[in-house]
Amino acid sequence: MKYAVLCKFELSATSREEAIAELLALFPAGEKSRGLLAGALDVRENVGATVVHNSIALPHCRSILVDKLTIAVGKSPSGIPWPEEMVKTVILFVSSVKPSAPQEHSKFLGHIAGKIKNSGDKITAASNQNELLDLLGFQPEEQGE
Amino acid sequence: MDKQLEKLISLHDLDVMIADLNRKDIRKRETEMGLHAEGALEELKELREAFSKNINRKWRGLYNQLTRHYGNAVVPALMGRCAGCLTRLPTAVCSDPERNLKIHTCPTCGRIIYWAD
Repeated sequence: MKYAVLCKFELSATSREEAIAELLALFPAGEKSRGLLAGALDVRENVGATVVHNSIALPHCRSILVDKLTIAVGKSPSGIPWPEEMVKTVILFVSSVKPSAPQEHSKFLGHIAGKIKNSGDKITAASNQNELLDLLGFQPEEQGE
Repeated sequence: MDKQLEKLISLHDLDVMIADLNRKDIRKRETEMGLHAEGALEELKELREAFSKNINRKWRGLYNQLTRHYGNAVVPALMGRCAGCLTRLPTAVCSDPERNLKIHTCPTCGRIIYWAD
């Protein structure tokens, strides 16, 4: 599975929309594409918030605007209202729409679910970027295979 | 970017979201993580219906026809080619900086093309 991982350890966002925009700003995409991605992620959040563990949110979608799985991880020391629960770790990911992407998307959901199940509290308490990404099973800027 | 093209891209992403939540494996994963996949799916379907009505009838019709035929109606241009059928797209269109300001279709397969910014 090919992917790109981006990270912003200290998010300044104070709302869900701002957090998504802050992480999307790391994406190698133009302003228009980021706006459309924000719209898609917002739709998904509005039909059911993606808070999966104490203070971890997983905004995600698949889109024709990315050509490979792109992950952006962020942490907020003070927490972000999502909007009913406070979130301190955001793992945003967008999968492509290639024919193999649904299987990859499912596999990645399984990967993240496993990491959160086994190390959710450690992920929440991670004190630096490398520790956080290591707990999640990927490295910054790495193009995974 | 052409407003109708923006809406067609959003409609496509919405359809992908619905297709994903219709897949047993993805729904199971999401449910296991505590996400309300079933409820989200129903709401997305309703949203899709309402959203598609905001798209010009001509483009909505083409979108539906292409989706029925190919499974995907909107594709990116990759290195001057349609990502759906790999046909080389007209150079004049590809090199036009304002190419996303109107809707272009692939001359071979008819899919709606957009250029990533």
